[in-house]
Formats: sequence, structure tokens, C-alpha cells
Amino acid sequence: MTLRLTINGRESLAPDDPMTPLVDLLRERFHLTGAKPVCREGFCGACLVMIDGEPTLSCLTPGGLAEGRDIRTIEGLSPAGRLNPVQNALEAHDAVQCGMCFPGMVMTLTHALRRNAAPSREELRHALTGNTCRCTGYERILDAALSAAGALQGGEP
Amino acid sequence: MSEISTVDPSAAVMDLKRRDARDKLTGRTRYTMDRAGAGMLHAAVLRSPLAAGRIRRLDTSRAAALTGVHAIVTADDAPGLVGIGIADHPLFARDVVRYIGEPLAAVAAERPEDAAAALAAIEIEIEPLPAVITMADALAEGAQLVHPGWQDYEVLFEGGRREGNVAWEATAIRGDVDAAFARPDAVIVENTFRVGRQNHLAFEPRAVVAHYEDGRFHIETSTQVPWTVRNATARVLGVPASEVRVTVPPVGGGFGLKFDMAIEPFAALLARASGRTVRLVNSREEEMLTCLCRENAEIRIRSAVTRAGEILGREAVVLMDCGAYGGEQIFLTTMTAHTLGGNYRVGASRLVSRAIYTHTAPNGAFRACNGVYNTFALERHTDEIAQAIGMDPLAFRYRNVLGDGDLGATGQRYEGEVLRPMLERMDTLRGIPTAATRMADGRLYGRATTVGTWFVFTGPSAATVNMNADGSATLVTSGVEIGSGSMMTGLPQIVAATLGIRPEDVVVRQADTDAAGFDVGVGGGRTTVSLGAASLAAAGEVRGKLLRVAADMLDADPEHLTIREGRIEVAGSNGPGLSIAEVASRAQTLLGPIAGTGGFTSKGTPAMSGCAAGHFIDALDIPVFAVHDCEVAVDPDTGHVEMLAYRVVQDVGRALNPRAILGQIQGGVVQGMGYALQEEVTIGSEGNILQTGFETYRVPLAPDVVPVEVSLYEGAPSLGPLGIKGAGEVPILNVGASVACAVANAIGRPVHELPLTPPHVAALMLGRRSAPVLPHIAGRWTDNLVKKA
Ligand code: FES
Ligand code: FES
Repeated sequence: MTLRLTINGRESLAPDDPMTPLVDLLRERFHLTGAKPVCREGFCGACLVMIDGEPTLSCLTPGGLAEGRDIRTIEGLSPAGRLNPVQNALEAHDAVQCGMCFPGMVMTLTHALRRNAAPSREELRHALTGNTCRCTGYERILDAALSAAGALQGGEP
Repeated sequence: MSEISTVDPSAAVMDLKRRDARDKLTGRTRYTMDRAGAGMLHAAVLRSPLAAGRIRRLDTSRAAALTGVHAIVTADDAPGLVGIGIADHPLFARDVVRYIGEPLAAVAAERPEDAAAALAAIEIEIEPLPAVITMADALAEGAQLVHPGWQDYEVLFEGGRREGNVAWEATAIRGDVDAAFARPDAVIVENTFRVGRQNHLAFEPRAVVAHYEDGRFHIETSTQVPWTVRNATARVLGVPASEVRVTVPPVGGGFGLKFDMAIEPFAALLARASGRTVRLVNSREEEMLTCLCRENAEIRIRSAVTRAGEILGREAVVLMDCGAYGGEQIFLTTMTAHTLGGNYRVGASRLVSRAIYTHTAPNGAFRACNGVYNTFALERHTDEIAQAIGMDPLAFRYRNVLGDGDLGATGQRYEGEVLRPMLERMDTLRGIPTAATRMADGRLYGRATTVGTWFVFTGPSAATVNMNADGSATLVTSGVEIGSGSMMTGLPQIVAATLGIRPEDVVVRQADTDAAGFDVGVGGGRTTVSLGAASLAAAGEVRGKLLRVAADMLDADPEHLTIREGRIEVAGSNGPGLSIAEVASRAQTLLGPIAGTGGFTSKGTPAMSGCAAGHFIDALDIPVFAVHDCEVAVDPDTGHVEMLAYRVVQDVGRALNPRAILGQIQGGVVQGMGYALQEEVTIGSEGNILQTGFETYRVPLAPDVVPVEVSLYEGAPSLGPLGIKGAGEVPILNVGASVACAVANAIGRPVHELPLTPPHVAALMLGRRSAPVLPHIAGRWTDNLVKKA
């Protein structure tokens, strides 16, 4: 069985079982190790990728279900070497510690700020319910996201 | 070295961006779990399903014959025993199993599914034996011994008393405690406390990639302690330590979990047996089952105080569950004297701390370790004392906190007046406390201020600085970046300030035991202190050499030169000068490349002789103090606790990178909130840990937390380089204590156990839960000690 996947705008073939979790295909087959299988239960959010523009848990998505859809991983979220406004703000606010949760955090926050250009701190706090971080205590991530609000309008990355 | 003393410490202070943030934000960082190599095999470990039993049969022949299986290793391949203090721990269970999850065999195969099939094909027969699951079981008369052969183990550190299921016992006795308790004016207050285990839940599980090349092992691993992994792996494998090389990619969270050898030897053995690169990554279930948790503990503490608030005497018994093997808990028995025996001036005291073997998964180190629950017990006890003598708890603390010249539990003399001014600082930060007990929405309001004592774990570190002819410098150490930013930011700041260059021009070499000298590891707040001191010394040597060469080139006296902003100049305005690159390249031509080396180790601060027995550290080289303040609201119907505000005054010596420290404090306080309110590891009657992943083990999420208000307290005495102290470990120390005291104040009932989950708090409010009864702690303190033979 060969899966035909569109990953970061590129058509890719994977000779794998369609039930293989997408996170494993990305990591083992395509060496895109940004998405992290931290819990494999849908609770931590470290494995989030965009599928057709929606943050999706790649640990709970069978590869077969992602065929024919636009899969965007953290590696392909912004053009090579550039940071999107959320990533920029997270760097500027010194929000990153071990870094394991950030690929997922960036997905959730990028999506939240695309949806709502002027969210409140409380709205962002609740948007992060599916993204656990064991290191930072979250507040600086919220500071960064608030400072990036408004910069993601117009469907730009 | 006059060159060093002239370094201006303020030149090292800056809010620097982290150099590793970009790759972490774009998914490009390769943690150990992300590494893969051509022809790499996948490993898996067979684990014991029983807590106690005799291994009757272990047959790997059918598994070995399966397609795709390259190697299987068992106890026969790993003859050595390792441990801290006592060598009691084999790599694989041998003859008997001692906990659920204990390794029995490891396999390497082409694909993960081949490895799983091989595990299933290994034939095992284990005859069940009676198990001791709780410390009460382990200390019962005639209890099954976890290590019947305990007397035969090699003792690696002398001094601890041991017997049966008591793996280690440390005592600290100072003054005449009986006399203090016998005083007619003494009010006696006694409490018992109990806490469960805490799982680190580091996002990157323990992971390793091993190679066997040119007769040596090369281990890439997610660890905080490359040298421990090198030496302990060699010991269990029975090979010379020089045959093991350890390198460490970026680590995805440590918190103490990775402060010991873990799964590295399995991969190493399999790499040697198969001749291939082998990767082994723990599943989340394995991490939950075999996490080296912060241990569960039981405490009895008793104090004699006068009505005026003087603490005449104190005694305590602390039982720490080490699980099936001694591990870090053996060492940590030491820390009771400095935490439960810290904070306050006490007339006379006796403390015993006992590590107890049980048939459960071994415990380990976790950020501020037993300090967290000893501080919880001591601070709650302090509030009960204040109540018993009718004194305001904050006034009681002002009166009694350790000050300049006061004695600690081992007779160490504390230097400087630190905690009292920190309490004052907290008064300023907090303002006058509100007296509210009920909020407008009907919830119960509570507030508390607590104090804490911790330390910087010093010990040996080595550093080399190579000065490059292009004006950059390379820092070579065995330090690991675990997420705190100390390695990537703190150390380059120190080197850059010494050499007058920019921190971004200091290249940090990834930890490699083949390249850098011995190091105790990254943890215990020691990175910027011990590695910082070694790096400062190494950079100081380079600085001296640069200045001498520049003096020749400028025909000036080295004493009259300044070194900053990439230039060496003759002091005074418009003095002639040279770029550092020019000087370095000239030196390279004239004398050969410039390098410097530095080393650091513990100072060995004195204690009073005869006070401490079985202690690994008799006195603290660098004490660290903390004052926390917490406000909570408790729902009287559900028992749910909401954090309303949290404040920290932390003793940091000198804040090199204030922004990084504030990030560590926010993160540490939130981990402590999890410990205080929700994180619960429970062990079933068969010895099985019931929480298997993120769904059942719940850590704080963004909606649960508040921004912590922080004031960094600078200027307390410190032996650290440039006057710094470690800042990343201590933020978690007081959180359990502060939350528990605040909740007790809110509900008007004492708190003796953590975590304060809603059912727990509801039961307290209904009067259905009282202090733990601990019959296995004897009423008479001396009856708790191992009898001297
Ligand atoms: S790994 Fe997918 S949610 Fe945790
Ligand atoms: S930075 Fe470590 S888990 Fe978020």
C-alpha cells in the first residue's frame, strides 16, 4: 500500500500501512521530527500539525486519512529561515525552555490569532487547553501571543 | 590571578536572547529521540509484570530465531552492580524481580514491531513472592526483605547505618533535645505529614542512540549527567570507563529525571552484540511505570517552644520511599538536616532521615527533591506552633528565621542576614494582607507566607576555553543544555565578560566526555555556579595571556590595559589599542594558539563535629533562601482550590540574566502548583503505578496558572563566581508549603497531606479526613534508629 501525502506543499509517497499514525510517518519516513509524539493520547498537543489549515493531532490521525489534504508541519509553517509573527514573538519574549512543546504551541497560537485578531488574555489561555508545557508555566507564552495579535490577519503565514 | 579579580561582574549581567530558541521554534532541533541513522536498529525492553518473585526460567531462544531480530541481551551480559552509597542495583533483574517494570531482557530488531514480537516470544516464568508495597509493610516486624543479601553489597560511601529494609539512615543531632522538651515552660507541638510521588513528565522521554566503534561504546543520550552515564555504564557492563564515550544532544526536559544512568546500557550492549547502531526510546507508559519520581514520604515532627515564641528543641523522623533500589534517595537523606533542619534558629535538634526499600519502582531526584515536602511539613508545622502559642505566623517567622551566625542542624554557622530582609521585601511586594475570609462569590479566601532553605549542589566541574584567531572563543565543558538556558546563555555571558567579547562570539561545544573533563552534571542549580566558576577560571587564564601579548605589542604594562568590546586598549581616553582578533592571531603565530583551563569543586564548609552521621554533605557551601506568598480561593461545595496570586522573593546572589531567572521561577512555581494541587501517583495493592499517561496524570494547564510576581534578592554572601547562586531549582521549593498553609487558613482546618485535590479538600472541610496515623514511626525518637551492632 502506498500513501500519497502532500506535506509542506510537496507531494510525497509513503509505502506504509494507512493505519500508521501520521506523526510516525512524518518522523520516521520523512525525517520531519518537529512534531513530537509526547503522550500519544491527544492530551499534550506537541504533535499538532495543520491539516487543511486546522490544527490536528497527528498522533491520533491515521496516515490514510490525511491523503489528498494539505499537511503543514512546523518545518514548513513559514518560508525557510523565516519566523512567522507568533514564532518571532516567542523568541523575542524568551518564552522557550526545553522547546519540546513549541511546535504544537506555535500551531495552536497561529491558528487562534488568524481567527481572532484581538483576543483577550483569557481567550488565549483557554485556547491553550490542549497544549501542555512542563517547563515554562505558560505566562510568557501568553505575553508573546498577545504581542503578536493582529499581525496574522489576511491569511498570511 | 589578578586578571580574574579585575573582571567587572556587572559586565556579565544582561538579558540575552537564547541562541537555541529559533531551531526549537521551527522544529529543527534534534533531540535524542529525533535522531536516526542509516541501518539503525530499534530496541525494546522486557519488563517484570510482578512486584516480587523468583525468576524460574528466562528463555530467549525462540525470540532470537524470529525474522528481523538481531540481538537479545540479559543479566548474563551485565555483571556489575551500581548505586549511590551502596551498589545494590543490577541492570537486569537477576534471580529475583523487585518491582513491576524491572528489566528482564532487551532486544534489537529491524523494525519496532519486530522488537515487540521478540519481547512477546521470550519465555519467562516467575514464581510470586510476598511483596512489601508500602513503607509500613517494609518496616513491619518480620517483613519480607527486598534485599535479603543487603549485607553483602559493596559500600561506596561510608557512614550510613543500614539494616534489612532500611537502605540508609542519616542522623543530625545537636544539643540536648530531651532537656529542651523537659523544660517546664515548653509548649509541645507534634504533627504527622504524608506526601505521594511526583512524576517529572519531562516531554522528551529517556532516549538513547548507541554505537560500538573501534572497540568503544559511543552513547548519545538524553541525560543531565554524561559522566555518571559513562562511569555507571562501564561498571554494569564490566568494561573500563575509558571505553565509553557519552555525547548529549539538546535535552527535552530534565527536572532531575535524567540525573542518573537510565536506559543507556541496554542500547550499548545491543550495539555491541549486533554491530549496528541501536536506538531505544521509552514509551510514555514506560516513563510512567519507571519514572524516578520524587519519592513518597512520611514525616513526624515535634517541637518544644516557649509562649514567647522561642524554639527550644525539635525532633523529626522522615521516611523516604526509595523503591526497590537505593538510588538518589540514599544521597537525599542528607537533605533533611538542611531543609527540615533549615529556615529557623532552633535550640537543640535531632533529625533522622531513612530511605526505605519497597517492592515498587525506584525513585530519584526531582527539582529541589525532598526539600519540597520537608518545607511543606516544616512550614505547616510552624503555622500550627504559632497557633498553639497564639502568635501571628508571620511575626513568628520574623522572630525565628535563620540570621547571621545562627547554627543549622549539623552545626553549620550561617553567614549574613538574609531571610529577614527577604521577609521585609515580601511585605513590600505584597502590601498589607487583606483580612477577608469569605469572598463576594461565597468562596473561602486564604493567604500564607512561607520561608525555605535550599542549596547549590557544588562538586567538581572542568572547563577549557580556546581563543580563536578570529576573535571568537570556544567553551568546552561536559555541561548539558536541559532547557533552562544556563549552558546556552549563562556560561557564554561569563566567558564573554571575561574576554571582552560578545556572548554570541562564544561557541559552546556540545557535551562530550571525550572532549571535556569530569563534571558532576547539570542539576541542583550548579550549572552557572560550578561550571561557571570553571569557565571563569579558564577564561581568566586566556585573558591573562591575551593581555601579556597585547602589552608586548603595545609596549605597555599589562596592568594598564583594558579589555572590552572586542578590543584591548591602553587605559585612558584615546589610548592606543588592538582588536582581540589581532592579538589572538599574533599570539597564535608567536606562541601557538591560546587556551585556558579551569576547574572547580566543593569548598567543604565546616559543620560541628559529631553532629551529622551518614551525610554526604555535612554543611551547605552555598545556601539559597526563598520567601513565597500565596493567595487562594476554595470552593466550599467542591473543594476546588483556585490560585489567586503568587509572589516570590528569591535569593539569587547576583542575577546574571534576570529574564532567564524569571522564566525559571514561573515554570518552577507552576510545577510546584501541580504537586500541591493535582499531581498524584497512586500505587495499587499489587505494586503497580495506576497512572499510565497524560490522561490520568494531570499537570497544570494554561487556564490553571497565574503570573508569578517576583523580586530577586541580590547581595547575599555566595562562594559562586561573580557572587551568583543557582536559580533554576529553588523556585519549586516552597510551593507545596505555601499552598497548603493558604488552604488551611482558608478552610480553618489543618492540612497534613498533598496533593490538595478537590475530594481531599472537601473531606477536610467535612471533617472526614484527619492527620495520617503512622504507627511505623515510633513515639520515642531514639526507637526509630537502626540499633548499633
Ligand atoms: S502526542 Fe499527540 S496529543 Fe500528545
Ligand atoms: S518548553 Fe519544555 S515542555 Fe514546553
